[in-house]
Formats: sequence, structure tokens, C-alpha cells
Amino acid sequence: MTAQLHLVDTDLAEVPAGPAAQVPAQPLFGAPVYYVGADSNAISELGVEDLFAHRRRFGHRPHLTGAAGAAFIDTLEDIGLTGRGGGHFPVARKWRTVRTAGRNAVVVANGAEGEPLSGKDAALLQLRPHLVLDGLACAAEALDATDAVIWLHEGAEATRASIVHALAERRAAGLIEPQMRVVTGPARYLSGESSAIVQALSGGPALPQFRLASAATSGVNGLPTLVQNVETLARVALSAHSPEAFATSTLVTVAVPGRRVVLELDRATQLGDAIGSVLGSTPLQAILIGGYGGSWAPWVDVSDVMLAESDMRDRGLSLGAGILVPLGAGQCGLEQTASIISYLADSSARQCGPCVFGLRGVADLVRDLAEKSSGRRDLPRLQRFLAEINGRGGCHHPDGAVRMVASAVTTFAADVSAHLAGRCLHDGAAHLGQRRG
Amino acid sequence: MAEPAVNVIQRLRVDAVRCDGVGICAHLAVELVRVDSWGYPIVSRQPLSARSLRQARAAVAACPRRALFLATD
Ligand code: SF4
Ligand code: SF4
Repeated sequence: MTAQLHLVDTDLAEVPAGPAAQVPAQPLFGAPVYYVGADSNAISELGVEDLFAHRRRFGHRPHLTGAAGAAFIDTLEDIGLTGRGGGHFPVARKWRTVRTAGRNAVVVANGAEGEPLSGKDAALLQLRPHLVLDGLACAAEALDATDAVIWLHEGAEATRASIVHALAERRAAGLIEPQMRVVTGPARYLSGESSAIVQALSGGPALPQFRLASAATSGVNGLPTLVQNVETLARVALSAHSPEAFATSTLVTVAVPGRRVVLELDRATQLGDAIGSVLGSTPLQAILIGGYGGSWAPWVDVSDVMLAESDMRDRGLSLGAGILVPLGAGQCGLEQTASIISYLADSSARQCGPCVFGLRGVADLVRDLAEKSSGRRDLPRLQRFLAEINGRGGCHHPDGAVRMVASAVTTFAADVSAHLAGRCLHDGAAHLGQRRG
Repeated sequence: MAEPAVNVIQRLRVDAVRCDGVGICAHLAVELVRVDSWGYPIVSRQPLSARSLRQARAAVAACPRRALFLATD
């Protein structure tokens, strides 16, 4: 997909990469992965792990049909694996729901990252395709599925080519495993949304749907359906190969102007160290945690928070799909927020009134705020809009947008007051990229 | 359709993807539905009482987009 990077140029871009991040014992990658600019080709010094290298590292994948599948689900429960697509839902519970919901299950590896700033899933699919495919094969066997799909954005060429090549390698090697096929959806922000995938695989458009029943119980064509993020499946594969070596790591994508860096870090790593390994000691003002639908927080308040979701939750945050967007000391957070909410409003799948009209209304108000042209009643109006929109879309897209804007209003409270008074706290040298577009 | 047992908690729900926002429901179920700044229904999340259930049913029946329904927890 065409990644649109809403980052304001700053001195951040100039800072060289710091020391390599701490790597757990059984890594997914073993080294940071880079993306340059808006390019979607993942770059790593360790390169692609082909089937031969993958086999050398892990040996044969255990087969999980029948009783072995049920036992493996117990293992997933014991190690406490949770989904890494953003929801952090326990994997074992989801798999059990699918297993008990009926026969002919469908399993889907979701590789259609919506967030333009994300990169961990494409990195896995491009550099560690066999871990993801092993994970999908494990799921298909354990759930006795009759269809196994790798769902990608069309236009994600490098990713698609990598998976197609990996599937061919497996076929040539004569692996005994369920058949897996690649299906692509439109390169839209929301075509990776679970209900959109279900609708598309059932023959409809790849748009989110309102659903009372979960995909797990009634998904593709009414069949029990597992939609699982590709990082989750890679971790499933690691656990299948050796549960003891299950890594307490997490993948984060740090997005700074000019590049994105995917880091594999221990969950006990503090945000300060994670960002420091990319930016050195650049002074920061705030950070957007969890991507475009995440939350802004003042840097001083959160630099000591650990990446573990439990730690994040204690502070009212969520790592979501692991996207971290640091904001340099000289940047205007309201400008950043205006640019992101405008992108999110444009990304609405244009189905639900509160999302289509509401997010546009919010985006306009935030733009006025950023441009210091708000009227006297605009801030209360913005607050009212946010309260009205929350929880009212057919999918969770508007909820994330609301969360991001609400967190900006509190995190950048001083900027809000200054802008309402027609001033900006960051006027001066800091505005390198401000008025370019 | 079979009537649910009396002690089943029911709520009025709206499928935002189907709803066209003309707001007929807000006229029929005044105690359960109000409209937002853009004219779309905000539906009460409270469990329906015996009295509000009648209002809710009227709104469900009248919704031209079949976007409203009663959901049990
Ligand atoms: S809430 Fe927005 S993105 Fe989600 S289904 Fe409705 S219109 Fe589409
Ligand atoms: S009557 Fe139906 S379509 Fe009309 S506003 Fe209410 S829920 Fe929406």
C-alpha cells in the first residue's frame, strides 16, 4: 500500500541509529529491520530466511492434527500467548471458540496492516515467511480447517512475492501440510479489519460489517473463522517448535521522519530505552503509542513504562499493534494530530454516519485548532463530537480516532490554550517541515 | 419468533452500516433514541424495561433500512 507518512521533518531524521536493541534468546528477526521513507521493502542485515535456513534453525514443524491440536492449544494457554494485531486477546481462547463452533473452519493469516506507519507484519512476511506459514499450518491443523488463507493488501508487491515464493519452496520440498492460498484485498486502511476480511472471503466487498456474532463462531460463509495477525502466527510457530524457548519479546515499529525501524524487544524494556535505541538522546516532547488509533502521552510521564501490555494498561495505554511515533521537543503536536485525524477521516469506509460525518467534523475542528483559527465555542464542540462518535461506528475505526484526538487535547493542553489565544508555543526554528504541504 | 423468557435482558441496537440517519426511530422511541449532531440515532444502551420494550419494538418495525433490532446479551 502507498504509505503516507504524516511526519513533520525535524532534527530527528538526522540522528544516527543507536546501539542495537536487546535481542531475546529465540528471536523472530535477530536484528532491527528498516524501511526507508515510504518504501515498503523491509531491509535487514540478516536477510530473508529461506526454507533451508528456517529448517536449520527450527527443524521440522510438529504435526498438530487430532489430539495433538488440543494439547497444543493447552500449551498456548500455558504460555499466555495473546494476539499481536492490537487487541491482545488470548489466542487459546479464540482457537477453542473456533474448535467448538463446528466443522470446516477457515483460518486466515492477516497480513494487511492498516496503519501506514506499521511495518512489523510486512517485515515478517518478507524476511521470515516460513515462520508465518508454519504458524498458519499449525492453526489449520489444530482447528481441522478446510481453508487456510494468507490475506494481503494488493499492491504490497514485495510481501506478496515473498509469500508466493515461500509457498513454492514448501511445495517443492514436499512438506506435508494443509494447502494455503494467498488472497489480496484492496490497499485500503480498513481492509485488514476482521469483519472486512470475513465479508470479502464470503464473496462481498472488503468493507467492515456490523456483526453480532464473532467471526470465530460465524465467519466466512457462516463457518467458524480464525482471523489471526501474522506476528501472532509467527509466535504460534515458535511455540510449536519449542514452547520452552517461547520468547517474551514484542515487536514495535518506531516511526521517525524518513524511516521506520522494527525492533524486537523484551517486554520488560522501557519505552525510553526502546526509543533511545533508535534516536539516541534526542529530547522528546511526547509520544503516540499504538499508532494512529492510539494515544498521545507526554514523554516525561511514560518514558519509564514497559512495553508489556499489562504495564501499559496500568497507565491507561495500549501498545496496540506496536507503533510508536515520537514527537521531538520542537514540534507542534496539534499539527501532527490534525494531519493524522484528517487521514483517518479520509480512511473511513464511508458506510456509517457517525464515522463519515463525525470524523470529518472532528478533523475540521482539529485543523482549525492547529491553524489557530478556532472560534470561541469550538473546543466544547470538539469534545461533544468526540463523545457522540465514540462506540457508534459499524467497526472500531472511529473509536481509535476519537481516542487519539482526545489524548492530544490533554497531552497538548498547553498548546491548545496557546493556539486558542492565537499563539504557538513552538514558533521559531522548530518549524522545518510545517508549511510544505 | 418465540418470545424470549421474561428474565432475558434485551437492548436496542443499531447497525450503523445500514442506518441512513433519517431518524424515524427517534420519533417512535423518544425515550430510547436521540439523534447526534449529524442526525444519526444514538440508541440507549440500557436494558429494556417492559414499557420501553413496546417503544423499541415499534421503532424496530418501522425502520425502513432494517437497521434496528433487539439484541439479547
Ligand atoms: S465505522 Fe467507519 S470505517 Fe467502520 S464500518 Fe462504519 S464507516 Fe466504515
Ligand atoms: S429508523 Fe432505522 S434507518 Fe432510520 S435513523 Fe433509525 S435506525 Fe437509522
